[in-house]
Amino acid sequence: MTKTIEPTRSFRAHRRNRARWGLALSAGLTIAVAVVFILSMTFGSVTVAPIDVVLATIGSPTEKWHTFIIYELRLPRAVTAVVVGLALGASGAIFQRLLRNPLASPDFLGVSSGANVAVVAGFVLWNLTGYQLSLAAILGGFATAAAIYFLAGRGGISGYRFILVGIGVSALMASLTSYLLARATLNDARAAMTWLIGSVGMAKTSDIIALAIALAVLLPASAMLGKRLRVLELGDGTATALGANTRVDRALLMLAAVVLVALATAAAGPIAFVALMAGPIATRISGRADESIFRAAAVGALIVQFADLAAQHVLATPISTGIVTGFVGAPYIAWIIIRANRSGAA
Amino acid sequence: MPEDPSGKVSLPLIVDRKTTPMRRRTVLSSLTALTAAALVLAGCGADAKDDASSAGGAWSYTAGDGKTYTADKTPTRIIAHAYAAKALMEFGIKPVGIYADGKVAEDVGLQGVDFTGIEILGEEWGKIDAEKAVTLAPDLIVADWWPAEGVYSGQEEGVEDSAKKLSELADVVGPAQGDSIVGVIEGYATLAKSLGADAAAIDSAKATFDEAVARFQAATAAKPNLTALAISPYDDVYAVAVPKYAPELLDFQKWGLKVIDPETPDPEFPYWESLSFENADKYQPDVLLFDDRNAPGGQEKLASQPIAANIKAYAAGAMTNWPAYWLHTYTDYTAQLDKLTTFIESADENTGE
Amino acid sequence: MVATGRPSATAAPTTTTPPKVSIAKRIGLGGGLLLALGALAVLAFFSIALGSRSITIGTVFDAFFDPSAISPDLTVIRDMRVPRTLLAIAVGAALALGGTLLQGVARNPLADPGVMGINAGAALAIVTAIMLIGVQSAGGYVWFAFIGAGISTVLVYGLAATGREGATPVKLALAGAAVTAVFSSVTSAVVLANVDALNEMRFWQVGALSGRFMPVFWQLAPFLIAGSALALFAGRPLNTLALGDDVARALGQPVALTRSILFAIIAVLCGAATAAAGPIAFLGLMVPHIARFICGPDYRWILPYSALLGPVLLLACDITGRVVTAPGELQVGVVIGIVGAPAFIALARFRRLVQL
Repeated sequence: MTKTIEPTRSFRAHRRNRARWGLALSAGLTIAVAVVFILSMTFGSVTVAPIDVVLATIGSPTEKWHTFIIYELRLPRAVTAVVVGLALGASGAIFQRLLRNPLASPDFLGVSSGANVAVVAGFVLWNLTGYQLSLAAILGGFATAAAIYFLAGRGGISGYRFILVGIGVSALMASLTSYLLARATLNDARAAMTWLIGSVGMAKTSDIIALAIALAVLLPASAMLGKRLRVLELGDGTATALGANTRVDRALLMLAAVVLVALATAAAGPIAFVALMAGPIATRISGRADESIFRAAAVGALIVQFADLAAQHVLATPISTGIVTGFVGAPYIAWIIIRANRSGAA
Repeated sequence: MPEDPSGKVSLPLIVDRKTTPMRRRTVLSSLTALTAAALVLAGCGADAKDDASSAGGAWSYTAGDGKTYTADKTPTRIIAHAYAAKALMEFGIKPVGIYADGKVAEDVGLQGVDFTGIEILGEEWGKIDAEKAVTLAPDLIVADWWPAEGVYSGQEEGVEDSAKKLSELADVVGPAQGDSIVGVIEGYATLAKSLGADAAAIDSAKATFDEAVARFQAATAAKPNLTALAISPYDDVYAVAVPKYAPELLDFQKWGLKVIDPETPDPEFPYWESLSFENADKYQPDVLLFDDRNAPGGQEKLASQPIAANIKAYAAGAMTNWPAYWLHTYTDYTAQLDKLTTFIESADENTGE
Repeated sequence: MVATGRPSATAAPTTTTPPKVSIAKRIGLGGGLLLALGALAVLAFFSIALGSRSITIGTVFDAFFDPSAISPDLTVIRDMRVPRTLLAIAVGAALALGGTLLQGVARNPLADPGVMGINAGAALAIVTAIMLIGVQSAGGYVWFAFIGAGISTVLVYGLAATGREGATPVKLALAGAAVTAVFSSVTSAVVLANVDALNEMRFWQVGALSGRFMPVFWQLAPFLIAGSALALFAGRPLNTLALGDDVARALGQPVALTRSILFAIIAVLCGAATAAAGPIAFLGLMVPHIARFICGPDYRWILPYSALLGPVLLLACDITGRVVTAPGELQVGVVIGIVGAPAFIALARFRRLVQL
């Protein structure tokens, strides 16, 4: 992942350039998210021109019914796409950087599938609602991630064995979910199923609020911690020598990542592979090793936004967002394999 | 109340249009406060008076939820659930938009209705295009009221949130579903009259219907021992309808047809007794009545099950369809009753046990 | 256990030809086969005797020994439970043999038709055939299942096996996960577009044996039986392949041709099994390992053991699914997932990954 720094340039000049470039990139990505945000509220069975979207959003609509369409119908979905995408992108990047493994995403680490089962179990077995479900998702995500961590064994997470374990655990979680649904009362099963189909259009207000608060706190926090990630990326030994308290940093970052992905899952159901792709794409865009969690989050938001646009408008029948990201993410995995084949290191 | 007779679920299950509603749900909060005031006609200043037939004048209607809704002029831009729309249209009231539980062209309850010029806002249960609905600027929304759940069709739990926003556009009203289809039809007649329908046409439709009921009663009186079982073979389930929750079956019982009451309705979902196909011979009626929403799928499903040969009525070919949960008009009910009357007249009382 | 040779020329194979089996061991293994056959018979009997309708043991015997007797009980046994049991046996054998072949060809102990996305490919092809082309009968869409299974086999193996290291378990599992993700996304999109078919599909999609009777069995049995029979003769070439490509070549085996033929048999087995019971994962993973545990690395013994133990496991899971959520039914695919996923994890965790 990390590219070597050209030795000809002085370290300081390099950092200055890099900071400037990073700032420009972040600004560009923010603008892109904002533009797609407005665009996503333009389309629908009634088209509202982008300018009218803006006017309605700031409270002076061209037509009175614009307010209803924007505020009641399209804004919740558009906001969900952004916050879910931000959360997935950030958590994926954190995992990947922390574990130094491009495949270390919540999809393979079991966090998503664990959160899934927890939400279904909470709903079906204990009739939890709202924030209780969000909490269940967090606990489920943690428990599964911990299980995979321990199952993967010595040196597991930084190697590749955890992927196998993760695939196995995800399969187990899927079976458990089916089992829970089979035991559930019909009404519960129905409601759980609607959620399991996974779509940003399904999010409840409480989910969005929980996720937004978590993002407001955790995104800056992990960005700050992330600055120390570079120290971490030098490796534990070096970092310890430099006096950084890597253990606490790692734990906090991991905590933030699990909370974010669990809340995103609680809000929109399983949306596959976004966390896997966001970080590497951000790196590609910046053209160098990019340790900004914010930029990865922004890329995540863009992916979910586009995926949801496609899910809603490409086919005659709207499909769920997760189907689109699954369809897009898989070729990316294929590409990882091909790249590994070429370099001979898998 | 169209219910899903299947007691089992597995991934990926989607709320299915035939299964439709997850009726018998928790009670939803009553109608949301009307926020978009410019879009609705608030019931301010109108006197609640019963005679509201004069178009253009003040309007009031007591709906199935027990509340009296008023407006200072008779609503004209109506969005209705497809079945409600059919009921209103029979009495000459044409809505501007409808939403259906399934494909309008395929829904057995919507055959022969001309929806030209009416915006179709949804053709799948739980999905209503609220965006299009806004542009129609409705001043009334009409649907069945389900007393058990305390909601109108289209506002049930499980319906998409955006679809539920429909209720913020205008008052939702409609007669209550109860223990008889006749009550529902009369409820729509009252509503249609308040909206300006021709009372004479309504009375003539009712007269024709009353004759059909008389013929049906005569047919059942001639076969006092004829038993019928209302079923919906579905997935891995042989679902037997519980008449208590099927208003048309209650009507049939009232008019002399012995529709079998299943012994052990599902505890979770008492609209049906779900039997596995291995036990499909539990009841041996003289005639089988298939849920016509699934026709001919239901008969094909049973035909593919070897046990079918052990159900005497099936083996004897003594079967027909039953209009399941969709009747809303005198015309439809008359036609369905006449079909059943003919069927009963030719049925054999000694097929079953 | 599995041969540990690597395909690259640099790594020397570490095992030689399977040791000659002594007469005593041969008798022991043969006895084991008889034991497995006995277990299969017992489970088949339970599968026929148990169900939501309670039928006395005496009646169960009547169904077979008194052909003239007719009653609803006998209909349930002869026409509903027997076909289901037969189908379970055929599907179990096909999936277990498919998994064994796959592990042998890919020389990878984590290879499984489910994990590798082969069943997902077959499922997509079947859904496409039914919904977009309008094929109705199992005998019709099974051909599409073969094509789908074949395409995904080639895709996954091709993706994983290129590169210097060959098909490592991680690459195979990843490629399988990727292909499964794409195929099941498309399957979901196709199914969601047609609500009517969704009902037909939703039980089948998780892997289920219910509601399948004699006509389906007769349509699929030829493929399942023919595929299984061919697979049973693959012991010798699999043993040779296990030595590594170079040794196999030196022994005069046309490696590429052998692989292609074996992959074709896998596609037939998995395609037909998926057409019969939906995409079931992990059965093909577990059974070969159990077989290997019993009889060692010789595929000439592993194959017949798999052919018997596959149905044993599938029937056991199917019966469990009928019992735990009675009077409802838990799909057999779910039960196998709950049993099989931990097995997969244990294999991934405790086997040395280099030996692939």
